[in-house]
Amino acid sequence: MTEKLQRTAIAPKNPLLNASRAGNLPHVPGIRIGDYIFLSGMVPVDPATGERSHGPIAEQVRITLANMRHMLESAGSSLERVVRVHVVLADISHMAEMDRVYREFFPTDPPARTAWSMQLRFGNGCEIECVALAG
Amino acid sequence: MSARREIIAAPAGAPDPSQRGSPPASPAVRACDFIFVSGLTAVDLQTGERVSGTTASETRVILGNLKQLLEAAGSSLDRVVKVNVLIHSMLEAPNMNEVYARFFPDPPPARTVCGARLPVGVKVIIECTALA
Amino acid sequence: MREIIAAPFPGLDLRQHYGHHQSPAVRAGGLIFCSGMLPVDPHTGERHHGTLTSEAHVVLGNLKLLLESAGSSLDRLVQVHALIYDSIEYDVLNRVYRQYVAHGPPARTVWTAQIEAGFKIALDAIAAA
Repeated sequence: MTEKLQRTAIAPKNPLLNASRAGNLPHVPGIRIGDYIFLSGMVPVDPATGERSHGPIAEQVRITLANMRHMLESAGSSLERVVRVHVVLADISHMAEMDRVYREFFPTDPPARTAWSMQLRFGNGCEIECVALAG
Repeated sequence: MSARREIIAAPAGAPDPSQRGSPPASPAVRACDFIFVSGLTAVDLQTGERVSGTTASETRVILGNLKQLLEAAGSSLDRVVKVNVLIHSMLEAPNMNEVYARFFPDPPPARTVCGARLPVGVKVIIECTALA
Repeated sequence: MREIIAAPFPGLDLRQHYGHHQSPAVRAGGLIFCSGMLPVDPHTGERHHGTLTSEAHVVLGNLKLLLESAGSSLDRLVQVHALIYDSIEYDVLNRVYRQYVAHGPPARTVWTAQIEAGFKIALDAIAAA
């Protein structure tokens, strides 16, 4: 019988990016299991203050993806090891702007992605989650 | 040595992310046991043009393309483990399901369907995870 | 190879009851991929519309039954997409949800989405086998 995989929670080195802990929420920033890391959805949070950062959508996407990079690197992975991304936008018309910034973070051989729009909480313009190969 | 991921390129003729105007997403990525497929919309693989239709007809185009993509990657529709379907309206779910049932042989993969706001003119987006 | 996990109770066979072309869950690569779980009675398949609270209890109870029948458990959840019909119910969702994942919750993203049959909540989950 094959051994059961063990899951471990991951956390960002920057505690201000630990939304689970900060909000006493019933989730963890991410779970490592076998070859993969599954991240919780991330929203635009200023890494210097832990406060929501609600500027133009380009800025929100940039901050969110930079935070995602930090999260992955804290867990020994990286943006280059991302296999799938889900991008949710509050406003579907922001897709082109989001793409423009997104390309900065995934310039070549980008991961698989699905992008769409839904109602988001707290005025967030985007929420981004991903699955990556563990380090 | 840490595991590697491999980009699955689009079948010949299909849009690729390095092309101007294409979304920055690889059609699929193989990593360890799985192939992670991007959310697909209905496009003509020869021309790369969006194909607008009903939810049912777009589902048919998407799943036909998915079949080609998976087979080109050495997998197949019967190796899909999980599908996520985003529809512009849940009223269309039965129409999507009827077409969907013709593509996935028994027993079908796990699936989640929900309604969401999709790009203008897009009726349905389908993403999936398959065994490599 | 992938292994289809059958519904542990007849009500969780949504294909039989509602014609949804899906299996309840699939095991592959050490993970269990679950179909979106709905607030249906696990024995009869009857829809249990209610408040977000009541529907969440049904969904999480069903997920527990499904995972345990497959040799897993809620403690082995890896990632959840919690679909709710309106983000205003976020706190209500959390109040119920945390009761079920008290021992080490998984990663989670909350999606505000249109769910079938006007349900207020559905859960999409991946667990360790």
